[in-house]
Amino acid sequence: MTSASPPPTSPPPSGTSSRRKPLLVAGAGLVALLAGVALIGRGGSGEEHAAEEKPTAAHDHAKHGPANKTGTASPAAPLAPGQEEKAPQFSSTVCWQDIERFNAGVTIHNFREWAEPLLNSRDGLVRDFLKDRLTELIGNNPNHALEVMEWSRDAQGKSFGVYLMAVRDSEAVHQPQVATRLLDMGQDNSLPSERRAGLLSALDTQKRLAPVALERLTTLANDPVSVDAGWAAARTIARVMKREFKQNESIAPYMDKLLTIGAASPDEQVRYLGQMMPMHAAPLLSPEETERFAKILVGEGNEDGRDAAAHNLSLSYDKGKVLDLFAKTFETEQSLCVKWALFRFSARTAGKRALPVMANMVTLDPRFQGIYQDFERIYASGTLDFVRLYNSLPNQDPFNCLDRHE
Amino acid sequence: MKSTSSFRTRTLLLALTLCPLLPTEAAAQVVAPGPALQGGNCSVEGLMDSIRNGLKSNSEAYKKYMRTLLRESAPTLSDSELRAAFERETDPVMAEHLAAALVARTERGADPQAIKAVAKRALEERDPAVRAATVRSLRRTSALESTDGVYEQLVKDPSPEVRQEAATNIVEDIREVYSGFHGPASDAAVSAAAASTDPKVTAKILGSMDTQKISADSAGKIQSLLGSDDAEVRKAAALALGGVPAEQMASARQSVLAMYRDEKDAGVRKALLQSIAQLGFIGAIPELQRLRSTDPSLAPEIDAWIRVLNLDLQEWNLILREKQRLQQVP
Repeated sequence: MTSASPPPTSPPPSGTSSRRKPLLVAGAGLVALLAGVALIGRGGSGEEHAAEEKPTAAHDHAKHGPANKTGTASPAAPLAPGQEEKAPQFSSTVCWQDIERFNAGVTIHNFREWAEPLLNSRDGLVRDFLKDRLTELIGNNPNHALEVMEWSRDAQGKSFGVYLMAVRDSEAVHQPQVATRLLDMGQDNSLPSERRAGLLSALDTQKRLAPVALERLTTLANDPVSVDAGWAAARTIARVMKREFKQNESIAPYMDKLLTIGAASPDEQVRYLGQMMPMHAAPLLSPEETERFAKILVGEGNEDGRDAAAHNLSLSYDKGKVLDLFAKTFETEQSLCVKWALFRFSARTAGKRALPVMANMVTLDPRFQGIYQDFERIYASGTLDFVRLYNSLPNQDPFNCLDRHE
Repeated sequence: MKSTSSFRTRTLLLALTLCPLLPTEAAAQVVAPGPALQGGNCSVEGLMDSIRNGLKSNSEAYKKYMRTLLRESAPTLSDSELRAAFERETDPVMAEHLAAALVARTERGADPQAIKAVAKRALEERDPAVRAATVRSLRRTSALESTDGVYEQLVKDPSPEVRQEAATNIVEDIREVYSGFHGPASDAAVSAAAASTDPKVTAKILGSMDTQKISADSAGKIQSLLGSDDAEVRKAAALALGGVPAEQMASARQSVLAMYRDEKDAGVRKALLQSIAQLGFIGAIPELQRLRSTDPSLAPEIDAWIRVLNLDLQEWNLILREKQRLQQVP
């Protein structure tokens, strides 16, 4: 299955293993690897995924030829000496007898009963179809959406994710009563946190979040008992923010809330979302936002959070302040991976004019000598773009930071 | 997937008749049983029947499912049956589905030759609608590399529709499959753009192409296109030159700067300004300032570039984004 929107993605990885991992900065350090983040919250059981857009320059396949739509090895990929070509293994698909009659006769009223045997099967293709078909059946009718949300209260197995994904992708989700009910149910403490996370995630296709909704989501994210629901609330804020930013709208209220979560949530993973998710929209930082990320850079206990802060700070309007901050922080930072972030994001802040700052970092920590020479050489060749520079590095992960969480 | 029981059909029809008449709550209590859904193996014939019938459905979800199911089934379907079905199919829609299935066999590593059979028909088929459909099936695949220069021929197809479909493939392949990072694919795209005698095709390919990995030879071909009689081609060539690799940048900068003074078309001049900005980032500001007097009508455009370049952003995508945001401000 491929998503309709670019770039071509591999089929969603099953399971939840990719979800709780801190989301790492990839490739050019532009965007974290969010492709495997599921709709359902971090501890959820759904496997439907709403892939975030991946940066082209950070796309591993890009350097090695075509990225296959299905995630299998490129047929043109050369074999290493002595390596024998293995015949690829393909799993059979399932063709359902009477699926045409199902499609012709299914309605919002009989969907749950009719779809049950298909939802209980292990056929991911038919599940995707059921999700899309249910989205069609909901249409723009808020009552249909509300009915499907009620089904989700006690939905078992895969059906929970299918129901909520269908609501999420429907036109009706933009009706005020649907969005409000999703938020209400997401805050309903009588529901398991994992279900509340799914309900809140269904809000992430909203065109915008009103101040009241933003406030409620932020409160959830900062509440220590929210667990998965708080995580989903933070991510929903960030995803709607990204959409608003693409529409050229002001995202200051969203950034304010994410930075509040990034500074205040007692849950390290939720806090990290607040710190990391802004890099997807990549906004230029105002003086106040710069100040708040600077506090995270020097005060956050989680090194991933400090890394994310450096990443975001590289897009501050105040480049001089950021370079000074990076230089000063490098002196006392204990984590080699955060130091590597300070080093490379200095270049993303000011290009080759950051080289003196980076050279000074080398004098403080000679482990950066070799990589500094790479930066210097690539800039001398005339390269200007940080993405190109990063992708030209002989080793983009010189300190093995990308797999530190494996 | 064929009907097996007249009893079930009647039940279904009864349910369909009753459903709209019943209130939701009542309907939830008396839902008629659905069709018996038995999973089984897929076959070329069965899938083709389903797709033909599915095309009549009002549900886009169902049509998408059928298309996906055929493509996902392709590696395990009978190769000979699939090829035979493709060869004899004359309906453009069905031919496109079958071609996509054959292409999927190559893309998954099941059959390296299958995509070549599709490319061959894209060149040799007599019906231009089927040729266009077959070309579409090659979109977002490795065809730029794996079909032996087929695009250089497709961009010369007598049918404008086929030429445009080929150009769309090239644009989307470079952007979505290769992310502009694969030199041989980028060079194949430039060769196709240069080989075409249809200015719309050349402009479409070059106008949005990431040229960061092209060879010196390809850069030279694009520079030659700066002299085209067609303004859209000149504009596209100017934009393409903005993104060339570091070693080609000095030559490209020289070409676009020299061209700016004599260019008469405002759209081409705007593209040249963008190219100058991309080739110099913040360092382009002095050059841009010098060009303000050449064409006063473009001074606001130059000022917009200067304003954005002064932000000193280090990524072209961010610079371009901020320029677009600046221009969208009411």
